Amino acid sequence: MNDTFIISIVTFIYFFAAFTYLISFIFNKKSVAVMALVLTGSGIAAQTAAIIIRWVHSYQLGIGHAPLSNLYESITFFSWSIIFVYLLMTKRYKSNLIGALANFFAFILLAFASLSEGIECQIQPLIPALQSNWLTIHVISSFFAYACFAISFGASILYIIKLRLRGSAIDILPEPKFLDEVIYKMISTGFILLTLGIITGAAWADHAWGRYWGWDPKETWSLITWLIYASFLHARLVGGWKGMRMSLISIFGFAAVIFTYLGVNYILSGLHSYL
Amino acid sequence: MYHSWWFTLLLTLLSINVFACTVKQIPRIIKLTFPRKNKFDENVFGSSQINKTVQCKGGVSDVEEKAVSLLKSFVSLSTQAEKNDKDIFFFEKGRYSRIGMIFIHFSILLILTGGLIGAIWGFNGQMNIIEGEVANVITLFDRSGVKKLGFDVHCDSFKVDFYKTGQPKEYRTDLTILEKGKPIISKAIRVNHPLIYKGLKFCQATYGIANAGNFRIIARNNKSNTETVLTLKMMKKVSLPNSGSSFAIAKFSANNRVFGPAVLGVLIEPGEKHDIFWLFKDNEQLKSDFSFIFKDFDRRYYSGIQVSRDPGVPLVWAGCILILIGFIMSFFLIHTRVWLRILDVKDGCEVKIAASTSKNRKSFEEKLEKFAMKLQSLS
Repeated sequence: MNDTFIISIVTFIYFFAAFTYLISFIFNKKSVAVMALVLTGSGIAAQTAAIIIRWVHSYQLGIGHAPLSNLYESITFFSWSIIFVYLLMTKRYKSNLIGALANFFAFILLAFASLSEGIECQIQPLIPALQSNWLTIHVISSFFAYACFAISFGASILYIIKLRLRGSAIDILPEPKFLDEVIYKMISTGFILLTLGIITGAAWADHAWGRYWGWDPKETWSLITWLIYASFLHARLVGGWKGMRMSLISIFGFAAVIFTYLGVNYILSGLHSYL
Repeated sequence: MYHSWWFTLLLTLLSINVFACTVKQIPRIIKLTFPRKNKFDENVFGSSQINKTVQCKGGVSDVEEKAVSLLKSFVSLSTQAEKNDKDIFFFEKGRYSRIGMIFIHFSILLILTGGLIGAIWGFNGQMNIIEGEVANVITLFDRSGVKKLGFDVHCDSFKVDFYKTGQPKEYRTDLTILEKGKPIISKAIRVNHPLIYKGLKFCQATYGIANAGNFRIIARNNKSNTETVLTLKMMKKVSLPNSGSSFAIAKFSANNRVFGPAVLGVLIEPGEKHDIFWLFKDNEQLKSDFSFIFKDFDRRYYSGIQVSRDPGVPLVWAGCILILIGFIMSFFLIHTRVWLRILDVKDGCEVKIAASTSKNRKSFEEKLEKFAMKLQSLS
């Protein structure tokens, strides 16, 4: 079966999972929440299969490489990572609303990948700069970091809604303390992964371009993102900041993540022109 | 911008800031990691972060045994309990958690120092070597001039491969390092596979065609239906078969208007104006009675090699490893301490619990609460 076809089905599964999570949250029904979890699980299982099929297919074409090399593949992997991180998170932090948001993010990403005109979904051969063992580890750590930041972004939005709006609909939102902890846990995990992503990127750049750091737009913006989240951690651990201000930094940080991921490639030109 | 004075100033200020803040924290961290206070201090009971007292039935030794094994399973303490002569049990885990913070900040200073060393004593430049020739000078990227290497670099050959889709597959330069004319080392460098010699890194960066010749062009006379393969040199006229006309090449372009290699052909017919036109490789052009196809040519490439030296790199990598160790220590280690004391009282015994943790206080407290309840129900 064609992997892009599976991905288009997965897009809908994530949409329904998001919807089911929302229903289970609104009506507070445990059975619906279980259904949503099953949908999410089958979505990620199918997506994993699609990624493996694409990987195998690239070898059959004689241009074998991990499917992490262009915009289509990276967006697919980004959505996969969000669901993966969400499922890991549910072991300790259960929230149907965050489940709805995670699935919604994954849905938006996949929909963007399949519907956007400029995104090539064909398997492309690896250009010389990408032919490296650093590719897999660099991309995986970066996108796992992005996924953690995406979830902390979702939790931050909920936090602000919870604190700023009043009404019975707001009362059923998760407790601020819970959201605050999710934001902090996701950001501290994402921060370690982002650091790993930057370090592996530097090691790779040293090999491919002869220097570990060259103030390329991608490098500069990843540093800016890193500094924003570093300030988040300092504000919390040293300054004792909590709540609203932390949520704002988290949203600000995620904007920087998106700019590092997409903005740099669309707006600024640099060496990192493949995503 | 990144070499401007204000940027350097900002980096320096950041380093001083990081250094000062870290140093300021060190005494507190040392005190918490290596406490001077006796770990079996009786005063911990009642004055710690978490304090509890549980009444149990049964003898002291019996409760002692149960309490110790239960505590381990509830708060996942892998360490062995220490016990002193006053029957105080002491458990400790993740003691070095706070040292991680020192590692993280120290590693940032290491990386910045590495960067500074690289900026002062390192350099980065490029040399273009034509196939079969040697070069020993690089042009520095920061426009500060050129640098002599002190040895020769010979480019044995350069090759570029393409996929069927037209995307580049591989750039490869075979290099030989010569010291006083004697070959020392030969290596094929490709993107992601540099050569390192005497602390210098040679990376494949770019390429181009240095010179081209022996252009092979198929000329077909459509009137007489004859075909000949011409091998032309630049600006050398060749007469075309079965006619009084001749043909020459006036110019070569390695990548004309990004459509690939092309030659500027000149068709000279008696009594006519010279016809000048671009002939792209593998494309047919009809001109008067003739059609021309530019088939092939001999070429010599030059390979653009980036040469860099950065003595700060080992420090930077040391910093990177240290920062990851620091993160693991400070995020995954939690410094927890638990004291237990079992006292003989009327109708059984009393278990005093004191505990402290550096993180996740709430969940730790819940675990201890469960432990206390379980202990009470068991005896």
